[in-house]
Amino acid sequence: MNIRKIFIIALLLNYTNTFADTAIENNSTATSITSLSDVNATSEINTSTGNTTSFEDEFGNVNETAVFDPFSGYNKFMTNVNDKFYKNIADPIATGYAKILPEKARISVNNLFHHLRFPIRLANNLLQFKIQNSAEETGRFVVNTIFGLGGLFDPAKTDLGWERHDEDLGQTLGFYGLPEGPYIVLPILGSSNLRDTVGLVGDTYISPLYSADADDICYKIPQNTGQDILIASVELINKTSLHLGEYDLIKKDALDLYSFLRDAYTQQRRQKIKE
Amino acid sequence: MIKINKLLKILLLLAIFSIPSFALRQNEIEPVMQSKINKVLTVLKKKESNTIRGQEIIRTLDPVFDYGLMAKLALSSKTWGSITPAQQKEFSRLFIARLKQSYLDKLDLYNNQKVIYKGVKPYLKGRLQLQTEVIGKDETYKINYNFHNSNNSGNWLIYDVELAGVSIIQTYRQQFAGLLKEKSFNEILTQLRENQPLKTKQS
Repeated sequence: MNIRKIFIIALLLNYTNTFADTAIENNSTATSITSLSDVNATSEINTSTGNTTSFEDEFGNVNETAVFDPFSGYNKFMTNVNDKFYKNIADPIATGYAKILPEKARISVNNLFHHLRFPIRLANNLLQFKIQNSAEETGRFVVNTIFGLGGLFDPAKTDLGWERHDEDLGQTLGFYGLPEGPYIVLPILGSSNLRDTVGLVGDTYISPLYSADADDICYKIPQNTGQDILIASVELINKTSLHLGEYDLIKKDALDLYSFLRDAYTQQRRQKIKE
Repeated sequence: MIKINKLLKILLLLAIFSIPSFALRQNEIEPVMQSKINKVLTVLKKKESNTIRGQEIIRTLDPVFDYGLMAKLALSSKTWGSITPAQQKEFSRLFIARLKQSYLDKLDLYNNQKVIYKGVKPYLKGRLQLQTEVIGKDETYKINYNFHNSNNSGNWLIYDVELAGVSIIQTYRQQFAGLLKEKSFNEILTQLRENQPLKTKQS
């Protein structure tokens, strides 16, 4: 199979980290609640007269903490393309889809996708010697397979309090000290960096949702590229439908969307690797 | 004698707690924040207009935020020191308004998610972090509130909020630093003014 195809599917299948994750800051869309002038009138502003030197250490020098971004030209272009893709394709389709399928059903579909990615989480938890998390992941898989109708529900979390432990190869590589490398904006997927992109391709190989090496790995669900794309598209739309409007809020919030997405992604990944 | 001592202690305690301005003590951070967040969630469920709910929410949260410090940090002390007092004042006003608005925008999508309190942990340089988790539809989001001992007065105030590992102040710092490479400070002020999500005198 040609490598470009593999790559594109890898992107589609791992959409999870794009808008959805950076969107955490923004959670969802809505009309604004209040008028600022009124808000300001009611409040006194706390001011700190002390000096801020000790805080400067925490946040670091803005030039030193800046993300390594030698491809900013391409990255800005791709951010723009993704923006158009989201606005004109993903968002309208997901909005329609959300009208047809109730949220509970969409959450179940989402649970199922998470459930099926169990091999990726297990492998990466083990590679980082997170033994307890690996055991919990395995327990989750068993419990949710049997009592969660094959992963449609998540009784392991709701009834037993076993949380999912998301780990991916990018985090594992980071755990072993591999630097993140230059920031890269991937098509559809959005923010990434060299290390995480390599990780993405690796994870995709062991993902049951992607047909690579289907002859050798018995748990692969799709058997050909057509099925890969179908599955990836369903996941993308389903995922987007659970985060509708969040991206618009980010856009509204950011003074500079490109650098906002870049820094939020980088901070978030660094934090995840630390944990 | 003992009685007088006791009386004095009580009086002293009363004096401390009756200081009119709000002061958040270290051991009160978690319970006070819990009640404030609960209050915010209750207000959200009310059937009032957005303006009224927004005012109430902001009034609840204002006392625990060190907005002045946040504005300064968002810009970085270096830039802050290089602008005029008038610009500082204008920037603080615009930035704080923006911060509040963006907080309120996000609340609107609150949908009965559960908030879990993970306790107050020591953070960098004697500062403290209140760790919480919000159980969302898809993921569990960590929200951490970072407190500092304001002017070492024993009044703890929030100077940063981390959402899923992303510091609000840090993202603003990077954005402002990036913008300052291309624009003058006055141009940034203009942008902040224009980006104001709501015009004044609406209602």
